[in-house]
Amino acid sequence: MKMRPMLTLEDCKKISAAAEAEAKKNSWNVCIAILDDGGHLLHLVRMDGSTPANARIALEKGRTAAETRRSTANWQERVAKRVELLRMPGVTPVQGGLPIVLDGTCVGAVGISGVQSHEDEQIAAAGIKALG
Amino acid sequence: MSWTRAAFAICIAGLALGASAQQPQQPNPRDAVPDKMPNDIPYGMPITLERAQAAINAAVAESKKRGWKLNVAMVDSGANLVAFARMDGAQLGSIAIAEHKARAAAKFRRETKAFESGIQEGNLHYLLTLDDVIASRGGILIIDNGQISGAIGCSGGTGSQDEVVCKAGADAVMKR
Repeated sequence: MKMRPMLTLEDCKKISAAAEAEAKKNSWNVCIAILDDGGHLLHLVRMDGSTPANARIALEKGRTAAETRRSTANWQERVAKRVELLRMPGVTPVQGGLPIVLDGTCVGAVGISGVQSHEDEQIAAAGIKALG
Repeated sequence: MSWTRAAFAICIAGLALGASAQQPQQPNPRDAVPDKMPNDIPYGMPITLERAQAAINAAVAESKKRGWKLNVAMVDSGANLVAFARMDGAQLGSIAIAEHKARAAAKFRRETKAFESGIQEGNLHYLLTLDDVIASRGGILIIDNGQISGAIGCSGGTGSQDEVVCKAGADAVMKR
């Protein structure tokens, strides 16, 4: 039988702690959302000083990356060339959401919001890297 | 006499009887006007992430100890999500419910159990028409020095299981 890999709460804590460390290192206050491959929330951390909007946006970036199996930066680039993609349902095309891919399978995503979009993505990448 | 005419006659007789036998109405308890505001707890500073995570960790530990799989959410004094954790194997439907319970506790400044009891025991069905209510126990306020700093919500088991875990989380961080 084919087994489905899943992120555990321990995995999420590892990712979240590494992302938070990356943000703290740069004195950034962000929200870190981790979702499963169905786009459902697994773990969320909103650092002191980040806003309610950051929580909503981090979640939506993460959801986009999880459900479409591609980074939100990729969506951002494609929307720049094809504006009609803005009408894609449930897509937040703003850099800062990265899918978590293990052996070619997407197991979830990380969404960050709070600083500049490329910095958000930097934090997300640092988090995923901690998964090993 | 046809059946319809007979039925009509009975109806009229019933109306006359009803009018003559009218009883004085029972006073409606909801017409009472209390002097004081209910649940008048001020909204204070938002809970810090550190304490929000401490509450979630305590709740998750309690749930794990009992072999339960729950979702735990923390909101701040603005009823906005601060931290969330889904335990391995917790059901998907409870992600939104956990957050909803925490949010409703903060927004209405009371445990969500109050809504459950109001509807079940108090017959206050109108509570279901209020905005963003969730009538299920497992949403508890975090109060610091008499002010609301946030709320915790748990979902995934029975209401009673959710509440036990929720209390463990709240007790871990509440300054008494």
